[in-house]
Amino acid sequence: MSKKALITGITGQDGSYLAELLLSKGYEVHGIIRRASTFNTGRLDAIYQDPHESHRRLFLHYGDLADASALARLISKIQPLEIYNLAAQSHVRVSFDAPEYTTDITATGTVRLLEAIRETGINPRFYQASSSEMFGLVQEVPQRETTPFYPRSPYGCAKVYSHWITVNYRESYGLHASSGILFNHESPRRGETFVTRKITRALARIQAGLQQKLFLGNLDAKRDWGFAKEYVEAMWLMLQQEKPDDYVIATGETHTIRDFLDAAFGHAGLDWQKHVEIDPRYYRPAEVELLIGDASKAKRQLGWEPKTKFADLARLMVDADIQLLSDQLSGKVKSND
Amino acid sequence: MPRALITGITGQDGSYLAELLLEKGYQVHGAVRRTSNLDRSRLHHLYRDAAIYGKRLFLHYAELDDATTFRRVLMKSAPDEVYHLAGQSHVGLSFEIPESTCDMTAMGTLRLLEIIRDLPQRPKFFHASSSEIFGQPAQSPQDESTSFAPVNPYGCAKAFATQMVSVYRQTFGLFAVNGIMYNHESPRRGENFVTRKICRAAAAIRLGQQKELPLGDTTARRDWGDARDYVRGMWLTLQHERPEDFILATGQLHSVQDVVETAFAAAGLDWKNFVKQDARLLRPAEPMRLLGNAGKAKRLLGWEPQTPFRTLIEEMTRVELAALSESSK
Repeated sequence: MSKKALITGITGQDGSYLAELLLSKGYEVHGIIRRASTFNTGRLDAIYQDPHESHRRLFLHYGDLADASALARLISKIQPLEIYNLAAQSHVRVSFDAPEYTTDITATGTVRLLEAIRETGINPRFYQASSSEMFGLVQEVPQRETTPFYPRSPYGCAKVYSHWITVNYRESYGLHASSGILFNHESPRRGETFVTRKITRALARIQAGLQQKLFLGNLDAKRDWGFAKEYVEAMWLMLQQEKPDDYVIATGETHTIRDFLDAAFGHAGLDWQKHVEIDPRYYRPAEVELLIGDASKAKRQLGWEPKTKFADLARLMVDADIQLLSDQLSGKVKSND
Repeated sequence: MPRALITGITGQDGSYLAELLLEKGYQVHGAVRRTSNLDRSRLHHLYRDAAIYGKRLFLHYAELDDATTFRRVLMKSAPDEVYHLAGQSHVGLSFEIPESTCDMTAMGTLRLLEIIRDLPQRPKFFHASSSEIFGQPAQSPQDESTSFAPVNPYGCAKAFATQMVSVYRQTFGLFAVNGIMYNHESPRRGENFVTRKICRAAAAIRLGQQKELPLGDTTARRDWGDARDYVRGMWLTLQHERPEDFILATGQLHSVQDVVETAFAAAGLDWKNFVKQDARLLRPAEPMRLLGNAGKAKRLLGWEPQTPFRTLIEEMTRVELAALSESSK
């Protein structure tokens, strides 16, 4: 019988890549999805299987990190060997607008899940998606597993809580719980409101003559950007270790949003200065400083290393968005605009 | 007349703080939760005083998970200062009810910050943070710059609330302060906290109402102060010119064993005959080396703890002896 994994946040960028990875490794994959009046499983289209098919290996269940009973019921029914907690209100700027909701899902949701695990008495391995936003006002450069946290946003505070409560359940109850402190990771599946995707999507439309201007916030913000598809491998590797632990996952390089504009527009042969305008509405109330991760522990202990570098990442996202737009225009795929 | 709102007014600290503020001429509003047993014993003396209750002390029903009610209470009472002391504050219990601990202690604080952020006249805000945020600290003693490393659900929730207070101070310019307080006790300490439990047991054994006292690890050491000193510190932090975080601590460690010996001696007993080790009372993860450096509070606020440990435990035992012999009459 194949190993069972449960993913929260399976409809997101990371969740969909992780589901693909686990399916390719022979797992039976279960995902929790929220009920919404609009379809939210677009990223799973490639691997979706109709419930009427036999020999299905991907199962989606309705649930919500806000609903403790549903979590307990699902865990007890599925009995997964591995649980990946990727679900969250994950947008930093939005966390200033909706801090309570962000906390309910991103912080309290994690302890609900851990409690559901404890309650059902099964002993799965647990992965918590921690974030470089926990470092906020950075206390050392580069950041590693031992760097003190200094969150600067409700999202960062909520992720710090989840990180610590995960460590706490590992130490108090012996749960095989690992926390991956992932720096920014992008892909063609990145949410459309995140800056990299916002840029590559707009670029495709500008190139097609459908749009002239692109409004952005702080162009000098620096981030350590990697490729999401490679980052989900690190998640899986953490749960294959004999001992649970915390790992920074990063490229070790930092670039500004300006650099990303250069790489993306340059690849398409366009000059971004002609199209980009600054809108202070997109500035964060408190910006995080120089985020740059030291992933040497992951390299040493997991054998994990980032392969796709910054410029390649920008190029592959541009190519994907140009392709997507042309498919939408030709009617090959449905536009969700 | 300055106005203050206290959450957790029915607790140990809330009741002392209410007394202190009334003494200083404040109008005091308290948020209380509805329960079927009206246990506000710590406020009885104020509640029954016709010159105070309904004139300078007002209690409002409000729960930390009910933002609308809290907003209404804040609008109505229009306080100059908010002292946020409410929270599920028992560390051991936070392992049994981690979700509601998080909802009250972490989310509850955030809900208040959100309401205050939107108020036309923003009150100053005091958050009762805790030494439990340091958990397994990298340095001892701890000060305001020590990194957090909580080791229990209560500590995780308090660390969240503390960081969120800082975020709201930095981002939205609130006059919001964290008082990072080490253990503080008094005759009004909750009965399931170890100091009170020991003093009460010593008194009960002395009076022949109890035979023995089961305890967990008695080597655990804490920085224990007097709650009355700490509420004075809370008030001082909001009178300081700038909102800043302050450690409130005694800077001295005593073990549970010290509490046992002092309390039993105060009751005229030899502890060795009555104390039994009970493994069930051990915490899943025991924090070590929690010792506070309150140098900043001394320097900037002129605050210093005044009651020595021994005096405090002796007083707590005396009060228990008096209360138990009174109730058995």
